Amino acid sequence: MRILDFEIPDKLYYSKEHEWVKIEGKEAVVGITDYAQKQLHEIVYVEVQKVGVNIEQFQTMGTVESVKSVSDIFSPVSGNITKVNEELAESPELLNQDPYGKGWLAKINLTDFNEDLKKLMTAQQYADFIKGMEE
Amino acid sequence: MSKELKKTHLYGFHKQTAKMTEFAGFEMPIWYKGIIPEHMAVRKGVGMFDITHMGRAVIAGAKSEAFLNYVTTNDVAALTPLSAQYSNMCNEQGGIKDDFVLSRLEAEKFLIVYNATNRTKDYEWLVQNAKPFNVKVEDVSDNIAMFAIQGPHAQVTLQKIADLDLNKVERFKCGWTKLAGLEGFVSRTGYTGEDGFEVFVWNTPLANPIGAVKVWEAILEAGEEFGIEPCGLGARDTLRLEAGMCLYGNDIDETINPLEAGLGFVVKLKKDNFIGKEALTMQKTEGIRRKRVGLTMLDKGIPRPHYEVWKDNEKIGHVTSGTFSPILERGIAMAYVSVEHAAEGNKVAVKVRDKLTEAQIVKFPFYDPTKYGHARQK
Repeated sequence: MRILDFEIPDKLYYSKEHEWVKIEGKEAVVGITDYAQKQLHEIVYVEVQKVGVNIEQFQTMGTVESVKSVSDIFSPVSGNITKVNEELAESPELLNQDPYGKGWLAKINLTDFNEDLKKLMTAQQYADFIKGMEE
Repeated sequence: MSKELKKTHLYGFHKQTAKMTEFAGFEMPIWYKGIIPEHMAVRKGVGMFDITHMGRAVIAGAKSEAFLNYVTTNDVAALTPLSAQYSNMCNEQGGIKDDFVLSRLEAEKFLIVYNATNRTKDYEWLVQNAKPFNVKVEDVSDNIAMFAIQGPHAQVTLQKIADLDLNKVERFKCGWTKLAGLEGFVSRTGYTGEDGFEVFVWNTPLANPIGAVKVWEAILEAGEEFGIEPCGLGARDTLRLEAGMCLYGNDIDETINPLEAGLGFVVKLKKDNFIGKEALTMQKTEGIRRKRVGLTMLDKGIPRPHYEVWKDNEKIGHVTSGTFSPILERGIAMAYVSVEHAAEGNKVAVKVRDKLTEAQIVKFPFYDPTKYGHARQK
């Protein structure tokens, strides 16, 4: 769906810190939302934790830097990082251009997604959350 | 936002086209298209900034030159009518109260343009110190709109709406002119490192913004063929940083003196008494212990204010401004480091989120001055 100026794909889950989660079997693909990339604007540097690192939900899993500012990225799920998007080192602008596609950040082997889910939002809930913030 | 923010004449334009931010009590544009495209427009073509938020005062009276020589650090006697100079005001300890551009309008009349963040402080300091000189200090901030037109195509753009021959206005000179038919004043100065002008639309109170809007729109139209971009505070910051120019509150403040900041060229210790002279003379004799330097990152990572600077397991200073340089496509910063480590070419480390990241001390400006900036080879 689209809310205000922001794309919010239906089948993903969302955190209040504006990360998204896509479930692929036992793994989750995570990234930052369209809203997040529009707020940051002109992302020039991305750093993500290394493969093999165990991470708890809402722990810092990396940082994004725009020209103006630096922001932490919080993992929306708990698990073990199995893959990071190596392309972002050379092309951080992918986060701006395609936040739900080529701008994915990492793949995480899930510990207990049912537990994570308690603190995540559906697309509709996230859309309402964004509307509330923009008003 | 809880408190009421001030707006400039161009608020309507900004609100419609830009992402806005609070700065120095004003609601100002941070970017329109984006910091990088606006930055590049200024380096390669032309860009325009609304800088009406800055403070402006007119100082007039028989002793105005003597007063300004007392309250500022540069040599005001050297300023001929319709010339401008960069200068500092210091406190008694030699700390920088503000940095600004002073223009001589007439033999006994001056215009000072200072930082938005210091509007009240500077005006009060000027008024307080002006008393023994019997000169008039008038705050004209709210009656003048001010825009900066900057970049290699700034002159050809501005010439289309100005009746004054801008070929006759050299760098750091100024002149009166009609701007799209309105009463205006231009000075060949700026805060980007590029050639360009700062234009003043005279007698345009905030309550009646029509004249200012007319000039702004006329300049945008005049610059269209050169790809003019309206530019926000984001690009203003990256441009001044690449040029090596200080931002008050970040790189200079009342605890730092001009000698430490590398602004000794605006401190004329040979002139008669001026505020801070004694302290600065002593500092000059004793030598400084820390110095403002430029840092270019050799590794990935963007330095930000307050990040620590290290050399061989020793903390030698801290970053005061830092950003991503669109021209160099890497992190750059200004930092204060102890003088023994301040030599150009010296390799140091910036602590970027607990990680020591390699950087090198470089001279200002950060860009190649034969390719960019006002002294570029045509």
